[in-house]
Amino acid sequence: MNRQDFIARLRAGLRGLPPPVIGEAVADYETHFSEAHAAGRGEEEVAAALGDPDRLARELRAEAGLKRWDSERNPSAAASAVFAVLGLGAIDILILAPILIWIAGTLLGLFIAAVAAFGVGAVLMVAGPFVIHGAPVMALLLAGLGLVAGAASLGALATIGAIGCTHALVWYGRLHLRLLRPALEPQGIAA
Amino acid sequence: MVEAVQVQLKKGVLELCVLALLSRGDAYGYDIASRLANGIEMAEGTIYPLMRRMQADGLVDTYLMESSAGPSRKYYKLTPAGGMRFEAQKTEWAAFSAAVNAILGGAQ
Repeated sequence: MNRQDFIARLRAGLRGLPPPVIGEAVADYETHFSEAHAAGRGEEEVAAALGDPDRLARELRAEAGLKRWDSERNPSAAASAVFAVLGLGAIDILILAPILIWIAGTLLGLFIAAVAAFGVGAVLMVAGPFVIHGAPVMALLLAGLGLVAGAASLGALATIGAIGCTHALVWYGRLHLRLLRPALEPQGIAA
Repeated sequence: MVEAVQVQLKKGVLELCVLALLSRGDAYGYDIASRLANGIEMAEGTIYPLMRRMQADGLVDTYLMESSAGPSRKYYKLTPAGGMRFEAQKTEWAAFSAAVNAILGGAQ
């Protein structure tokens, strides 16, 4: 593998990241090749010493995903962080998947319940006095208001839970990244 | 088995090694990679994701400097937080390795 092959594979591995991020990463390795050339080392030798470009790309991709979650807290950034960490293979998916699915399912259920309660509460408050005859108007209004407020707080709690879970996952991924799985080993040696 | 243990050990201390290297003076990427690769056998390319990570964590800062040969070099320097991290990790490492050495010595 020569310089061109190495850079091409690195670029391929980084595809989809913001262009400045790709540019900076590629520049690091281009400079490395230039410095090595100036020091009299051959391209093939340098490429071999650098390590597997696919694996390096996964490392850089994970780092970019985690960094994005740090700077913008939104569902898309959370998803990209989670997928980057999973793509790194940093997390034992077999162990973690059932837990993740359970947590995600519970949160989704809470969200749906919150939306439903909000709707029922709103209908009760607005249409209740006209539809349900004989019931005291004040009680209907208060009941509707209570449901709406409860739904809002349930939704907020579920959101906090989702953010907390993403945090925990990112923390766990970073821990692995730092301690266990930098692409340090030469190709072929299992971690 | 020995190989696997070595890989695990090296991974854990790579950040500490970079911090130590930078505590003695600023350095550019190729310099860091080749000096570390000389001491501990590792894939040199690993340095760059590690440097990004350390920069994102605020442990190192970068600046560009012209070099006599070739393109301008990106130098890394320790931030105050990086210096503090180094001192803390060095202490931890000393305590940990002393404990391991004591156990290894006791096993003989």
